[in-house]
Amino acid sequence: MTGAQAAGFTGREADSGAASAVKALQADGRHAEARERYAELVARHQRRASRIAFHYMRDVAEADEAVQDAFVKAYSHLSSFREELPFEVWFTRILINGCLDRIKARTRRERWIAPMPDGPAGERDFGERVAGNDPSPEDQLLSRERRERLARALARLPERQRSVFMLSHYEGCTSREVSALTGLNESTVRVHLFRAIRKLRTLLVEAPGVERNVEKRRVHS
Amino acid sequence: MSILNRLRLTAHLDEAGLIAIWTDASTTGVRQLHPHLENCAACRTRFAELSSWLESVRIDARSEAHESFPAERLAAQQALIFRRLEAAERPARVIAFPRFAQPLTSRTSHASRWIAAAAAAGLIVGVGVGQLMDLRHSLARPQATQARLSPTVNAGRDARVQSLSAARDEAFLSELDATLSRASVPELRALDAFTPKADDQPR
Repeated sequence: MTGAQAAGFTGREADSGAASAVKALQADGRHAEARERYAELVARHQRRASRIAFHYMRDVAEADEAVQDAFVKAYSHLSSFREELPFEVWFTRILINGCLDRIKARTRRERWIAPMPDGPAGERDFGERVAGNDPSPEDQLLSRERRERLARALARLPERQRSVFMLSHYEGCTSREVSALTGLNESTVRVHLFRAIRKLRTLLVEAPGVERNVEKRRVHS
Repeated sequence: MSILNRLRLTAHLDEAGLIAIWTDASTTGVRQLHPHLENCAACRTRFAELSSWLESVRIDARSEAHESFPAERLAAQQALIFRRLEAAERPARVIAFPRFAQPLTSRTSHASRWIAAAAAAGLIVGVGVGQLMDLRHSLARPQATQARLSPTVNAGRDARVQSLSAARDEAFLSELDATLSRASVPELRALDAFTPKADDQPR
């Protein structure tokens, strides 16, 4: 067993313990203590949840709200949580369903409401304003371009392929975990992952090459 | 080893083959090298290139998410989550249906009833006083009538008053005449001569 796997098991055990304790405290009506205990779970899963929500929503504010909703929902429905299932899986499922609902609502909204024009350059999103380890402006620009291309390519994938790719590749979930999270069977998960990578390669590696060739031809002619 | 298997091992892996190998390794978590990759350096290089590209995609995506959610944002998010949980657990505030607000309304109407009663009492008292005044006037009127009916008595009294004031006027005027005739200041005599007199005015 690797260190990471061992840590995962320990984390899961801790999650189950915390979730059971919160459930018991809620049942006793000791809500303040239940919330205190629940804070452990929130602290442990918050970053990962925010990351997953951000990959789905591609919008910091919406991802933030989706994470909040998921934690509130999980707390209020903790009585329906079964200990045999890892809390992480149960919670991530709530989060993903919430994100998908939000995406549907957003698509509906965008169909009927004209988008607002972008504000001045100084009023960009909080996430965009936060700089990492202060890379050079050129690096920042290149990185932003690369990320935008990746986001556009991911957006072109079918929803299931996108979900499987994000959970498997970004979050490092095994096919069994992705199967538990998405409700797809394991072999379907593998097929979706394969197709997602193939399509992304076509869009991100082969397509720019085609674009470069077109540019070269233009220069020569 | 059969010729077919040997052919399969010697033929280079295409992109799909490399992705399939990577997918299997990724989803199962078992890193076993494909027999062809062990023998073919070119395919091994292409597989390494694919793996590093996928790794760079993963790092890019994760770092973007991390940058979007710095520690301060996560702290704020956590605070909001617990504020919402607290609010959800607090018993809901029940707004009383108007029917249940009856005591409050009745208290108000009690006061207003007193005000109305005082106003009515004031009106009644006012009307009563008005009536009494009217009655007094009507009682005083016969006396005036009586006075009109006996002029001789009043005439005698008026004559007495008139004679008294005439005597007083006469005394005043005579005193005035005496003062004028006694014009004894020599410096003012010339001025007096120039001053027109009431008696000089043509009639």
